Amino acid sequence: MPGDRMTSGGRIDRSQPVNFTFNGRSYQGFAGDTLASALLANGVRLTARSFKYHRPRGIIGSGVEEPATLVELMGENASGNRPATTVPLAEGLQARSVNCWPSPAFDLGAINQVIGRFIPAGFYYKTFKWPGWHLYEPSIRKAAGLAAAPSKPPATGHFENRFAHCDVLIAGAGPAGLMAALVAGRAGLRVMIADEGVEAGGSLLNRTLTIAGNPAMDWVDRVTAELATMDNVTHLQNATVWAYREHNYLMVNERAPEYPDILERNWRVRAGHVICATGAIERALVFGNNDRPGVMLASAAQAYINRYGVRPGRRAVVFTNNNSAYSVAADLAQTGIEVAAIIDSRDTVPDAARAMVSGIEILPGHVVTTTQGGRHIRSVEVAPNGGGAIRRIACDLLAMSGGWNPAVHLWSQSRGTLRYDNALTSFVPDHAAQAAISVGAANGELTLAQALQSGADAGAAAADQTAPVAPEATDLAYAIEPLWRVEQTKGKAFLDIQNDVTVDDVHLALREGYDNVEHVKRYTTGGMGIDQGKTGNINIIGTVAMQQGAPLEEIGTTTFRSPYTPVSFGSVVGSREDSVALPYRHTPITGWNKANGAFMYESGARWRRPGYFPREGESFQDTVNRECRAVRNGVGVYDGSPLGTFELKGRDVGRFLDHIYTNIMSTLKPGHARYGLMLSDDGLILDDGVALRLSEHRWIISTSTGHADAINSHMEELLQTRFPDWNVFVTTVTSQWNNATICGPKAREVMAALGTDIDISPKALPFMGFADGTVAGVPARVVRVSFTGELSFEVNVAPRHLAALWDRILAAGAPFGIEPIGSEANHVLRVEKGFLSLGHEVDGTVDPFDLGLGWAMSKKKPDYLGKHAVALRRSGTENRRELVGLVPEPDTMIPEGAPLTPDGARKPTEGLVTACVFSTVLDRWVGLALLENGHARHDETVHARLKDRTIPARVTAPIHYDPEGERLRS
Amino acid sequence: MPYDVIIDRLPIFALFDLKGRREDLAKWAPSLPDFPGKPNTMTRTEKTALFFIGPDRWLLRAEIELEDALVRALRPSEAPADISIVTVSDTMTFFRITGPDAGAVVSIGCPLDTHPDTFGPDAVTYSEFFGLRSLILRCDGGFDCAVEQSFGDMVADHLTRAIA
Repeated sequence: MPGDRMTSGGRIDRSQPVNFTFNGRSYQGFAGDTLASALLANGVRLTARSFKYHRPRGIIGSGVEEPATLVELMGENASGNRPATTVPLAEGLQARSVNCWPSPAFDLGAINQVIGRFIPAGFYYKTFKWPGWHLYEPSIRKAAGLAAAPSKPPATGHFENRFAHCDVLIAGAGPAGLMAALVAGRAGLRVMIADEGVEAGGSLLNRTLTIAGNPAMDWVDRVTAELATMDNVTHLQNATVWAYREHNYLMVNERAPEYPDILERNWRVRAGHVICATGAIERALVFGNNDRPGVMLASAAQAYINRYGVRPGRRAVVFTNNNSAYSVAADLAQTGIEVAAIIDSRDTVPDAARAMVSGIEILPGHVVTTTQGGRHIRSVEVAPNGGGAIRRIACDLLAMSGGWNPAVHLWSQSRGTLRYDNALTSFVPDHAAQAAISVGAANGELTLAQALQSGADAGAAAADQTAPVAPEATDLAYAIEPLWRVEQTKGKAFLDIQNDVTVDDVHLALREGYDNVEHVKRYTTGGMGIDQGKTGNINIIGTVAMQQGAPLEEIGTTTFRSPYTPVSFGSVVGSREDSVALPYRHTPITGWNKANGAFMYESGARWRRPGYFPREGESFQDTVNRECRAVRNGVGVYDGSPLGTFELKGRDVGRFLDHIYTNIMSTLKPGHARYGLMLSDDGLILDDGVALRLSEHRWIISTSTGHADAINSHMEELLQTRFPDWNVFVTTVTSQWNNATICGPKAREVMAALGTDIDISPKALPFMGFADGTVAGVPARVVRVSFTGELSFEVNVAPRHLAALWDRILAAGAPFGIEPIGSEANHVLRVEKGFLSLGHEVDGTVDPFDLGLGWAMSKKKPDYLGKHAVALRRSGTENRRELVGLVPEPDTMIPEGAPLTPDGARKPTEGLVTACVFSTVLDRWVGLALLENGHARHDETVHARLKDRTIPARVTAPIHYDPEGERLRS
Repeated sequence: MPYDVIIDRLPIFALFDLKGRREDLAKWAPSLPDFPGKPNTMTRTEKTALFFIGPDRWLLRAEIELEDALVRALRPSEAPADISIVTVSDTMTFFRITGPDAGAVVSIGCPLDTHPDTFGPDAVTYSEFFGLRSLILRCDGGFDCAVEQSFGDMVADHLTRAIA
């Protein structure tokens, strides 16, 4: 079919040709075109194949409502499943049809039309069950799928998220939205107005109306120019308000921000008031073969003429049930398109409508029953509504209008209620749930004058002012009689064109008992997909109502959910990708670790820590063994900075710690430290750590790295809810105290070599003691605690000093063979000692007795957190899983988490392996496990059951090395 | 770079976390600046600023060179049980974002309404910055955004991406 670009008119720039390709063929359009308008201008009518039956499809709409022509964009800005009507034409654009192969003109999938009667709605629920759905799934998905997601990120640019606040957010820059923005902006409110179109104006872009006696677009230009001068107004075009959440929190997807480097921007807006000026969407009519290329929404045909300067056909038939199509017929005729007839299902056509189309034949009380044609419409069959003689009318364009639905999506997302309006035959906003109002066509006020005044009223109301009188505007009053479907159809009559859902499919769903409209949706998929049923949902509801003999208000609508239109994942994510996809934390020596070849990973609470420091030619195990030997035989150092640290101050700190720890802390003397366990309300281990008493009322406590934030919240909650009168202040000082821990038999020698004014002799600074002073000239607090089981000095300093201290330690320790060690070696060393680790032995099921820490459960304190819960739980008869050591026999590694089952048989598990490491001091693999009744089963043999074998292991005490603790106390 | 801003990662400040009734704190440390009257506001002197950041909670900020002098003046380890004074200078990393687009860049990471009408020159508050707990305040020509020190590299990473 030849193209039909008009020589003048429209809002395209004929001085700027734009080259593009579609399905591999080259075409040319103009700046201001969409891909859809450019294709029509080039005579491309067959643009797609349908989702299920692979029927030929063309362009039906002119905006986000487009159900048929989805395209895949290729090249640098690849994107899948974009309605061709929303793709601005750009130089070099490459697009292709989705869901057809090899082309829309010749599509092998069209075989589905032959077998269509065997694949009604829900057929896949009933078939493909044997031998299993997964056998068929790939081929069915391939046959029915749309375009794939792009395999690569955009070549350049990035996405952005931005927060914003305003007094008024206006969704839509049509006449109502612009009027509201103008009034609110002039009143000095902070206004944000966002509109999905490339240009402001909404429906005025597509029509030939006047405001105050001048072309309506002149008014639009004046208003947008004035808004641009207001500092208090943010005006976004090509920006869709796509989600409306609680507390007037809305999402706006801006697709062409002011900076080319920003691909898309997602605004997260908190608005004082929201004005929904989202317009209305024309609905399709339901008759036989209503999906054939050349069948188009009447408003779309009007848009292609008036906005894009394209004639979408040469000889048109207009099919309507309402007044709005008459202005379309008039515009079609005005541009030289022969309008063969207007088919109006209403028995009576208002005189004002008739007056607009003098000379055009009108057939009141008639309907289109079907269309003819192959890849394009050639004619329609027309009959009296209710039956009678059929008349065939030749045409290459059928412009249909089933009436208008207010775009209530945002309103409904806000939980505002809807009511069915019999006069408009559509659902309209009713009661607001948030500070929101709908105006203009979105509120069912479908004339231009109503839209302008309702916008002015809403803008003034937001500013608590009296509304001005809106400028004069006239257009044809809206009147409609419902036509949910033509009953005497021939051929498939589609309710949801995108998902190939027909009237018969809905009838089938109802016959099978899916009589709730939400169930109908899910059974048939009607209203799902990219367009979310914007042109067809109401017809589905109407069809259900007709079949059930119930009014539409009883049927109701399906739930409107965000997004209103598709939003790219990139826009949702913003800049949180690659290295900042997840939070990470560094210590002052992270750079040193990386520079020295550490293998870094996260090890709790988002800290990036060195796992191990491999040397050239070493295996992982070689490295870990070397680091372990350094600590056991010489000296090592590790960065213990991430340990959670809190300063507690106040008269009641002692009794508060007595409450949250299982053992007594209040008796601790200043200058001393004590290990402690914390339990949760239900008596399970929450955390462990060390408490240091600095003075009568000042304490420092340490927690595990991973639980630091949780323990902080835990303490604050207790203090604010259970002990609000207690004098306890909690200050987080995790990042005020970093530490380097020097550990190993030569640790004291290294400390001496560093130079310190602290007496580090065993007597002056024993195990669990601490002292303040200087180390290597740096103010420090040295604490004698040990996680490795060796003599250890935890040298705590301010982070600003850690990097220098680290260098000094390595230099001072060099003569002693000091090695930096990572988390892996630390893990081995603690397993050898049977020290518990949260996430390994402390897995949310165990109490202190299970871990052999019953000694830490005070018998003197009358009460503490978790005490009674432990007693209650242990009064049961159930076997507890208790911590034991494991010695695999034969000597081999058992994977962490391996289940222990009786004799290794396929029986209920009696425990699990929590850790298994190669011990360099024992020269063999050793492990820890939680085993039922484990404390009484030492020297028994248990079995780890793996997928392909079982591994016997001897049960031992959980301390494999230095059971008396002589080394750590040395 | 699309945004007209300057982003500086500032050297550490002397910071003191103060808790307790203002009368008790003022009595213990008369040299403290006047306490702000309204929550989420600050008072400034030539060299210090005192932030009102929560119920009975304050943060004193000064140039790091004043840290030792302030420690001597505040005597954290000797303060009575009714108040808490803790040196927290190393716990926070401050980013100073200034320039015509400072507000826009801050709004990429921070959900706070930083419009001058609602977040004036003496405003200071905890909020979020790139999903992290953050202290936000105005400075000459822009904003200071502070996060827990260990997240400093990550926030620098975020800001670099935001203005790329």
